[in-house]
Amino acid sequence: MRYICSVCGFVYDEAEGIPGEFEPGTKWEDIDENWVCPICGASKSEFYPEEEKAQEDKAEPKKSLVEDEDMKELSAVEVAALCENLARGCEKQYKAEEAELFAKMAKHFKDGLTAAKEDTSFAKLLELVDEDLNSGLVNAEEISKEKADRGALRALTWSGKVSRILKSLLSRYESVGDEMLKDTRVYVCTVCGFVYVGNDLPDLCPVCKVANWKFEEIRGDK
Amino acid sequence: MGEKYAVRNLRLCTKDCLCLYVCPTGATDTENSVIDVEKCIGCGDCADACPSAAISMVPKVYPDQQVKDEAVIIALRKLVRSKGKQELIAKGLDGRLAKAFARSNSIMAEDLIREAGYMLPQSDNGLAFLKGLTQDSDLDESVKEMAQKLIEKLNPGGGKATKKYRCQMCGYLHEGELTEDFTCPNCFQPASVFV
Repeated sequence: MRYICSVCGFVYDEAEGIPGEFEPGTKWEDIDENWVCPICGASKSEFYPEEEKAQEDKAEPKKSLVEDEDMKELSAVEVAALCENLARGCEKQYKAEEAELFAKMAKHFKDGLTAAKEDTSFAKLLELVDEDLNSGLVNAEEISKEKADRGALRALTWSGKVSRILKSLLSRYESVGDEMLKDTRVYVCTVCGFVYVGNDLPDLCPVCKVANWKFEEIRGDK
Repeated sequence: MGEKYAVRNLRLCTKDCLCLYVCPTGATDTENSVIDVEKCIGCGDCADACPSAAISMVPKVYPDQQVKDEAVIIALRKLVRSKGKQELIAKGLDGRLAKAFARSNSIMAEDLIREAGYMLPQSDNGLAFLKGLTQDSDLDESVKEMAQKLIEKLNPGGGKATKKYRCQMCGYLHEGELTEDFTCPNCFQPASVFV
């Protein structure tokens, strides 16, 4: 049997094992639950057997939508994200001055926002990313497929994979704690948001395939 | 051709300097490595000659924002809200992992909102968003001023089409007033050959 990583596409073949790690013939069930994908670091639970479709398709889509009263106006969070996006848009067009203005506006809006105190925990993050994976992303993908919006599907594929990595890391962090980060580097892909915890940064981002000089190392423990 | 101009990416430039040799107006030969927009006629010879693909031809006028379906927009915006919320939560937590999570969620939110109809800052959607900010009475004056300044910079002349003249000799496109003493920067023909 072969098992495929839903984040980066790495294939674990039971017949071959992994040189230096698992003997040929090592069964999937016999691999430790804490084992992670050697390429991207996704949890074992993010792998799916080859003949099955990716697990994203298994979730039940709950398509309730559109006439949502509170979606009429952009929320403060959206305005902040939009300013940041437009700053990047200007940067790509080599409009340095405009990019700076948008970046300043994004900062202004972001500084005005804080999370509710009771929400400020890693457990809440795990809950929210799980919710995205089970409903928000599934819904958006359904609708984008229906409307044949390739651009939206591209963004959703990236966000879906990044969300799965965040979920993997949060689950690991919950059980292992700071031990997970000991003598280990942390990187973020500045293009898609993929987070890599480890010392062997892949040449290309496992999610968006950009060259790894586009990654940013996260330093300092505060 | 005149509607594009050359831009050099300094991260990719390997200083083979072929652009210096092929440029008909000397626009690529500058002391600060930034191609002179005033001199660039948009012929694209430098981009074709560059061995490290460091020069790209950028359009002066970008296309309109592609039409997006309302249902797609709402679904994406819901995700933006969720990712934005997670960014805020992560910001309130300590450690490198939390920092990485804040950054990651911010990048996802940014990418998702771009697909919700905001690809180009100078598109109608982008300008309408900025206009909305200038009219929002709850906002700081400083933010409104920045939004106003951006509208002026991104949409100079309020969207009025600038006059364009084409050189019949070489095809060079001149934008704006065509004075009598104007000569084509590409083939040095007088203003009279422009239509």
